[in-house]
Amino acid sequence: MPRKIIIDTDPGVDDSMAIFFALNSPELEVIGLTTIYGNVHTSLATTNALRLLEIAARTDIPVAQGANDPLAIPYGGPVPFVHGADGQGDANLPPPSTCAVDQSAAVFIIEQIMRQPGEVTLVPIGPLTNIALALRLEPRIAQRVREVVLMGGNALGPGNATPAAEANIHNDPEAADVVFGAPWQVTMVGLDVTHTVHMTSADLEAYARSSKATARHIVHILPKYRQYFEDTYGCDGIFVHDSSAIAYAIDPTLFTVQRWPVRVETSGLFSRGKTWPLVTQTDHRLPEWEGRPLVNVPTRVDGRRVVDLILSRI
Amino acid sequence: MPRKMIIDTDTASDDAVAILMALQHPDIKVELVTIVAGNMPVAQGSINARYTIELCGKDVPVVEGADAPLTREIYRAYFFHGPDGMGNMNYPTPKLQPRPGHAVQALIDTIEANPGIMLVTLGPLTNVALAVAQAPYIVKNVSRCVVMGGAACTVGNITPAAEYNIWCDPEAARMVFHSGLPIEMVGWELCRGEANLSDEEMRYCKETINTPLAHFAIDCNYSALEANRNWLGDPGLGLPDPVAMAIAIDPTICTRSSKHFVEIECDGTFTRGMTVVDQCGVTPYDTANVAMWQGLISKFDRQPNVTVCWELDAARWKALLYQCLQQQEERP
Repeated sequence: MPRKIIIDTDPGVDDSMAIFFALNSPELEVIGLTTIYGNVHTSLATTNALRLLEIAARTDIPVAQGANDPLAIPYGGPVPFVHGADGQGDANLPPPSTCAVDQSAAVFIIEQIMRQPGEVTLVPIGPLTNIALALRLEPRIAQRVREVVLMGGNALGPGNATPAAEANIHNDPEAADVVFGAPWQVTMVGLDVTHTVHMTSADLEAYARSSKATARHIVHILPKYRQYFEDTYGCDGIFVHDSSAIAYAIDPTLFTVQRWPVRVETSGLFSRGKTWPLVTQTDHRLPEWEGRPLVNVPTRVDGRRVVDLILSRI
Repeated sequence: MPRKMIIDTDTASDDAVAILMALQHPDIKVELVTIVAGNMPVAQGSINARYTIELCGKDVPVVEGADAPLTREIYRAYFFHGPDGMGNMNYPTPKLQPRPGHAVQALIDTIEANPGIMLVTLGPLTNVALAVAQAPYIVKNVSRCVVMGGAACTVGNITPAAEYNIWCDPEAARMVFHSGLPIEMVGWELCRGEANLSDEEMRYCKETINTPLAHFAIDCNYSALEANRNWLGDPGLGLPDPVAMAIAIDPTICTRSSKHFVEIECDGTFTRGMTVVDQCGVTPYDTANVAMWQGLISKFDRQPNVTVCWELDAARWKALLYQCLQQQEERP
């Protein structure tokens, strides 16, 4: 039986690729998309989620709109230099013909999890505000969820939004610290692995060879996103962020995982949003990490196999 | 002509090995050793440094400095190096006395008098920060400032976010990193793994090299070896300060380095003393960074302030160590 997932997302070019990857994977049943700010404002994230489902001819899947701002401070704004002003590589798409459900993302998440105990996997691939709100509204979701597989964070490597922090966590560090501290199984698919899952320009040509509407859409929205990777990292092609979390939900054996308690820096001048695992400890006591649940932190990945899996689902 | 060097140190066992490497190497002339609070109180660090210098048969000025970080409470590393910092080996009290005066003035005077001198820091950066604050012009006289400290984009040893030397006095570290000194950062992560001495390599030092210095180098690190194994779960003996010294003596032992903007987190709930390295060069892109990083970036005219060492040739660092442990009889 396919695993039921809710994708919490801020589409976003790589979100779009991840959503299509999940929809085209028989191991997964996408039971809903919930939206969040991040790559774009929340309202645009909702518009894009609806557009993507329409392109995939899956308007049966509900979309629930989430929070407009992080828990503690206002949203820092979109990143048009990465994803385009429309979050879809400045592709000038027509408006969607469908609407979001009349329920907030947090309430939708709670309802789905409580109704199907042990069955729902949450896959947040944006900032974690909706997930933290859901936990606060209904703490029992921690016991009823199957697990949480999120894209975000950086345990043992540099950040991408700031030198210290990864973009999703940096957008709402307070929410992330709540999510990593709740008594449920969280897997943090972070830059430690996503920066080694490399889709080259040769790999990306596979989208151009497909006649499917979803693949054609990806071809349409990719150029600006690729340009960002070329300018910033001198990278031929792209690093696979959000789709790596989907790959983990499909086949965790692609990843080598360590289990550590994780705290998120919520203050700090330079390091706000940095995820810190407690890896080694001296006699210097670190009470802030004590009693925190162990988070699955993938530290290595078979990047080639992840890319091949994604390409096989185009 | 030998290259001139100043060593600023909170001398415990691995500092001692680094000091002896510099003293024994024919291409290095140590002009000054300054003592700072860190692993050890200044008085104990001074004893340990002077004992090491005496054991090498040298007479180098040792000047004691700041006995506490600029603003933080001191946290000693007794658990790591033993109560005397030297593995509790009960070494005799050295006859060599510290020079009068303060380390900070000695740093300023010695750097002023020796253009092109190298500065190697093995402890918290309190002395160096006080020196560059009082005499900012000295930085142009320093050809290289090799810092054992920090952790580049990875976990630290005293907290998940930070390495001890930087964590101990983050404000001082920040002043030094902003000073314009040509910093080469040898982070803790570089001094682990294959850089550690294995049981076999420690036996090689004691049984094959078998000089008094070789015995000293291994014996005084007994507590550090145990702590490395028990606390950090690392096999073998980690020698961070000697690794930094090896790179100071022979920069080609560092096989991969690159220049980056590096900030020191002095704030933060979990991240005090984190060395924040802009490895991906994202600071110019994201508006989230501009306000915080602009000062550093414009101060140095967009030229990154730190050379970060990423990889080293472990075999060559150990070969240099062995060479220094062997050398004592050959020199007057």
